[in-house]
Amino acid sequence: MRYPKRRGRLSVPGRKVGLATAAILLATTVAACGGGQNDSAPKAPATIPELTKDPLTLSFIWFDWPPAHALEDFANAEYAKERPNVTVKVKTVPNANWHDAMFTQFAAHKTDFDIPILDSQHIGEAVTNGNILDITDFVRQNIDVEAYNPYLLAAYGQFPQAETGKRDENASLYGLPLLGDTWTMIYRKDLIGDKPPQTWDEMISVAGKCQADNPGVSGLAFHQANGSDAAAVTYNTVNGVYGGNLWNPKTRKIDGVLNDAAGHEAMDVLVNKMKPLTAKGSGNWFIDEVNAAVAQGKACIAFNWIAASGGLLDPKQSTLGTTREEILGKLGFAALPSQKTNLVPLGGMGMHVSAYSPEANQAEALNFMKWFEQADIQKKWAAAGGVPSRTDALESPEFLNAAPFNQVYTDSVPRMRDMWNVPEYARLVDIENTNVNAALNGAKTPKEALDDIAKEQQSVLDAGSGKGGGGL
Amino acid sequence: MSDSAPLTSDQPGQVASATPPAPGRSRRLSDRGLAVAFTSPALLLLLAMSVFPLLWALYLSFTDYSATRGGQADFVGFGNYTAILASEQVHLRALTTLIYVVGAVTLQTVLGFAIAYLISRRTHGRGLLTTLFLVPMMLSPVVVGLFWRFMLDAQFGVINSMLGSLGLGQVEWLTGQRTALISLILVDTWQWTPFIMLIALAGLTAVPKYLYEAASIDRASEWFRFRTITLPLVWPLLLIAVLFRAIEAFRLFDLVYILTSGGPGVSTETLSFHVYKVAFLGFNTGTASAYGILMVLVVIVLTQLYLRYLNKLKED
Amino acid sequence: MAVSVDEAVSTRPARDRTPLARRFGGRGRSVLEVALLTVLAVVMLFPVLWMIETSIKENRDVYAIPAKFFDFQVTLDHFKDVFVASGGGRSTLSAAFLNSVVVAGASTALATVLGVPAAWAYSRFAVKAKKDQLFFILSTRFMPPVVVVIPIFLMYRQVGLIDTKLGLILIYAAFNVPFTIWMMKGFVDEVPAEYEDAAMLDGYTRLQAFWRFTLPLLLPGIAATAVFALIFSWNEFVFAIFLTSSDSVRTAPPAIAGLIGGTTVDWGLVAAASVVFALPVLVFAYLVRKHLVAGVTLGAVRR
Repeated sequence: MRYPKRRGRLSVPGRKVGLATAAILLATTVAACGGGQNDSAPKAPATIPELTKDPLTLSFIWFDWPPAHALEDFANAEYAKERPNVTVKVKTVPNANWHDAMFTQFAAHKTDFDIPILDSQHIGEAVTNGNILDITDFVRQNIDVEAYNPYLLAAYGQFPQAETGKRDENASLYGLPLLGDTWTMIYRKDLIGDKPPQTWDEMISVAGKCQADNPGVSGLAFHQANGSDAAAVTYNTVNGVYGGNLWNPKTRKIDGVLNDAAGHEAMDVLVNKMKPLTAKGSGNWFIDEVNAAVAQGKACIAFNWIAASGGLLDPKQSTLGTTREEILGKLGFAALPSQKTNLVPLGGMGMHVSAYSPEANQAEALNFMKWFEQADIQKKWAAAGGVPSRTDALESPEFLNAAPFNQVYTDSVPRMRDMWNVPEYARLVDIENTNVNAALNGAKTPKEALDDIAKEQQSVLDAGSGKGGGGL
Repeated sequence: MSDSAPLTSDQPGQVASATPPAPGRSRRLSDRGLAVAFTSPALLLLLAMSVFPLLWALYLSFTDYSATRGGQADFVGFGNYTAILASEQVHLRALTTLIYVVGAVTLQTVLGFAIAYLISRRTHGRGLLTTLFLVPMMLSPVVVGLFWRFMLDAQFGVINSMLGSLGLGQVEWLTGQRTALISLILVDTWQWTPFIMLIALAGLTAVPKYLYEAASIDRASEWFRFRTITLPLVWPLLLIAVLFRAIEAFRLFDLVYILTSGGPGVSTETLSFHVYKVAFLGFNTGTASAYGILMVLVVIVLTQLYLRYLNKLKED
Repeated sequence: MAVSVDEAVSTRPARDRTPLARRFGGRGRSVLEVALLTVLAVVMLFPVLWMIETSIKENRDVYAIPAKFFDFQVTLDHFKDVFVASGGGRSTLSAAFLNSVVVAGASTALATVLGVPAAWAYSRFAVKAKKDQLFFILSTRFMPPVVVVIPIFLMYRQVGLIDTKLGLILIYAAFNVPFTIWMMKGFVDEVPAEYEDAAMLDGYTRLQAFWRFTLPLLLPGIAATAVFALIFSWNEFVFAIFLTSSDSVRTAPPAIAGLIGGTTVDWGLVAAASVVFALPVLVFAYLVRKHLVAGVTLGAVRR
């Protein structure tokens, strides 16, 4: 069914014209954005500028989890008492998208948030790119630094980061603690007894016995996924406990440091002793899957972030009991067992100020931070379900009584160790994640995986971060 | 839709053709005006949103530009390209993608054609059946990925639960090195078999009845009829469907992102997923652009070859 | 004419099967075929049914082992959660649905407004290097979204379109225009050019002829094309997740993806959100089911 068509001598704008137009556009735009920019972080004023009386929305960005909602509710309830014209909005993105969402906006030099909540390891990337404000002078004038465990201030604010447990008094600060966090060991009191295992080896043997005694319940549950920093934190934790090191910050060496004897022993423990005690198919588990396993009564001992453990006490999600008390009768929370060292992973995040926010919002952000870090506000934050950072708040009954795992956090603070805090963090953690995940799922041998991590991470560090080539 | 058209008549072409048409030259002129007025907005949009970004990517692919780190972009010639082509990491992803594309497209072609064939032989309820079979294709890859992840969960998933009731063991659908890629293929097949089915159904229905009638008079065997009448007539159409599916499968990203995020290890990382990591984890924009350009080149070259083969097939 | 599902459904009569039935003892074979078809239909539809079932289950039953197929408490709480935030008020999911409606609707309209006239022009006029132009138009759709998103991101950053609905609308329209042109060209080809010629002899301009005579005949085709454009923009994920971030812009697919990766996954809510999200597309698809075949084949199927 074809019909003859009218023929005319017609043409539409030829491709040549189009290409030429595009080329001109290209040239002009590239020229426009190609200008060099200052790579160091802009400085925040030492004192808080005058605040606006007009209505203002102070925006945070975080990933979607209960503390994000708790923060929004808390800030709107309490901060509004001091600043009634301010509304606090905590924007949330999927966890897997968290780094990308913040840094693509940074890349755009336009952010729809004023306070990015950066993971401690993101600071290096943000500072090097000039995305967040240098608040060193502001902190000196407004914050009582003596009130904190120095490592917390260093981890959430300082760059370059100091050695474990210390803070360099002269280093620049870029953030203040918002939410502290670490791993807690979650154990079934009804299955392994009230007393938690004290060493890593003991923990493994208790889990093994529990699994053998209780068919259908696996000995262990922990993060193994290859997204976010899941499997990497797991390996780093075991690595720390068995006396390993992630790198030598002074010489910037990973190869030969990470994969030394202690490192290999840690990987061997993780893959050959711990992994066999986990549920089949748990190789892609992260926070929520571990929680589900615990809530469904499928794990003797589990490891999870403290700030993510609140849901375990919710009877609606749990088969362990119909009330919070009944669940608490079965679940115990303890600080991690130690072995050669007693190191635990540092979690949690700090507050930072976007360099691309309007000045009024930046001033408000600084004011919020000053307000937030006061002793009584920190205690209220603790009572509202947050994890504070000031030592007095950590030891206050408001915090310790708010949740059964809060004591674990207070006990763990002096034991913390963070990852490398360098601009190349996102790639380093991806390399570690995928390789640990491969080892856990039998796609690589433990030795092969660890050596690959060391080699690949070293090449990323050596390549430097100044340019956009490489990166495969 | 009815209110959409007045917008188009605002085009300058209207002015050219507003006067009553006189035969001959002036009508041709107004036709030309119309053609330009009608095609150029669409072409302009494509130039701005497809061609221009692609040219920009082409430019960046020869530099070491990074979207976050700023600073001057320096030309590195074909450095990014040679680095990509020489990288073992890229070869690994290319192999994964190849297995995935071939596996998924083959499976859905066979299945889709079989379903279409069975449906075309029904007399009742064909409309209903077809519509039902189409549902998976209409769902968002996000929904499909999330839900299959839930169903394929080794511990709590319904699939393993059913296997368990049948006395079969648990399968590590998403965490086994081989099974994860197979799961990816299965889920993609589930979603896109309807597409092949729909096209095959169109082809099957278009087979002229008299051919079958002639064959049945000749007492030709069923298989003979299928092989000599049905298949040759449906084949070209099926090949087009295969082309579309292969292109789509080649650039698969969202399903991987949601279902396995490339795991275990990197065993389900496709080329697209790898580009994403290069582009947004390391912000190695130059490399990522070159990587992308190479992928586009592969698609265009293979498509051209395939279409040429298809045309040749038609002529024979 | 373009083949439609209904035609596919009705053209081949039963008598076609009679000789077969005679030779192969057809009944047994027919039963086998029906059985096979049923099995395939169950396999293909089971996930959808399971999704609907999960959306009305209590969370405790969702994880039950062995899976509960029938004996569970029915609840509509998840559907409530889709629309109502836990503290009352509108949920972010419902805001995302609304964004999806705006973005998908506007981009589909834009693609149609730009694509239909272009298709008409390509069909009616001898355009220079038409084949090349058409292949070029189609090939812009071959690009992997992850690849395009990088330069688009850089471009949007320059012009301030990042995290705006307009940005999403434009990029979706650009992805849909090639498809619209190809599919609509197939439909326009089927409308005899003589109609317009006759109208022009009556004194109408070419444009009026298109507007009054051709366009009405194209409406069913436009509807079918629009549904495909709608499905694409409604379901799109990659651009949405990389180009948007705020709740007031973000569309539903990234919002649904955001439901996992917190501390507990509320699968009931995920399922309910998925069901609500899938419904509009399924309804639209059902309404234009007659023209779907023409859609997937880009107008390539013609008799």
